[in-house]
Amino acid sequence: MKKIIDALPLVVFASLIIVLFSFLSDKDDQLETALIDSSFPDFNLGSLSDESRLLTKRDIIKLPALINVWATWCIACRVEHPFLMKLKEESRLTIYGLNYKDNKFKALELLERDGNPFEFSIYDFEGRLAIDLGVYGAPETFFIDKNGLIRERHVGVIDERVWEEKFSKYLNE
Amino acid sequence: MKECGKKNFLNILMNKPILFLLFIIFSLQVSVEEGQVNFDNDAYPFTSEIKESLFYSLLNELRCPKCQSSNLAGSNSPISNDLKREVYELVVEGKSSKQIKDHLVDRYGNFIIYNPPIEPATYALWFGPFILILLSALVIILVRKRII
Repeated sequence: MKKIIDALPLVVFASLIIVLFSFLSDKDDQLETALIDSSFPDFNLGSLSDESRLLTKRDIIKLPALINVWATWCIACRVEHPFLMKLKEESRLTIYGLNYKDNKFKALELLERDGNPFEFSIYDFEGRLAIDLGVYGAPETFFIDKNGLIRERHVGVIDERVWEEKFSKYLNE
Repeated sequence: MKECGKKNFLNILMNKPILFLLFIIFSLQVSVEEGQVNFDNDAYPFTSEIKESLFYSLLNELRCPKCQSSNLAGSNSPISNDLKREVYELVVEGKSSKQIKDHLVDRYGNFIIYNPPIEPATYALWFGPFILILLSALVIILVRKRII
């Protein structure tokens, strides 16, 4: 009995170490989103290419779709840009852009130069739709299923691996 | 001479636990008060003092999503300024503290509030420290009674 009790601190300490280590290697560092399985929020914003054209939720009609939050000041967005171009070419998915707190001319220039993967980009200079989406920063990507529900959210660069692991399953539903 | 004074002060603090405790408590007090001043009133004009104090108390309670260890009041990042504007507009509309917090939790999750609700996912957060205190007390008692 005494031996067991003597060993107790060591056992407790060891299990603490194991538990804390398991948190360290936990790759799922994604922030929670409160919007999973809820419908896309209403908005009323201009289009990036033509601010006089007002866009609303009803303009997001080609489903399933990705909503990609991007900006020219966001370096990681440039990293994922080629992948978005590739997705546009190779999948039946529509990609809509949410241009977030950006300089309109720089944004249009970038799309002109590097290609435009987006059906259209919503111009959210004040970050209003972004708040309704619970956006933390750019890049962020949301998957909208064929019923218009938000099914997945990814914070950070989207690439082949993220696509396979998090998003592709919703496309095959 | 100055050096010497500092040393004496520290010595006194170290030798008198009560003084040391008071010192810590008052330092905390100062830092809390510092967090509540430094607002630019012109940026967020209010017509009623109640709304104004609600606004500033919310800024202290809500967390900046970008800089995760700071509240909205203490952050000047673009996203916190957007959230301040959102909170400002909701306060001006006459929404209650609870309505505004719910509004943001619906979008950002419990993460956005520094005072998370008591629910299964946060049990460890709320009750963990007390369990640890009880466990340590138990160990101390056992050791003192020389049971171990």
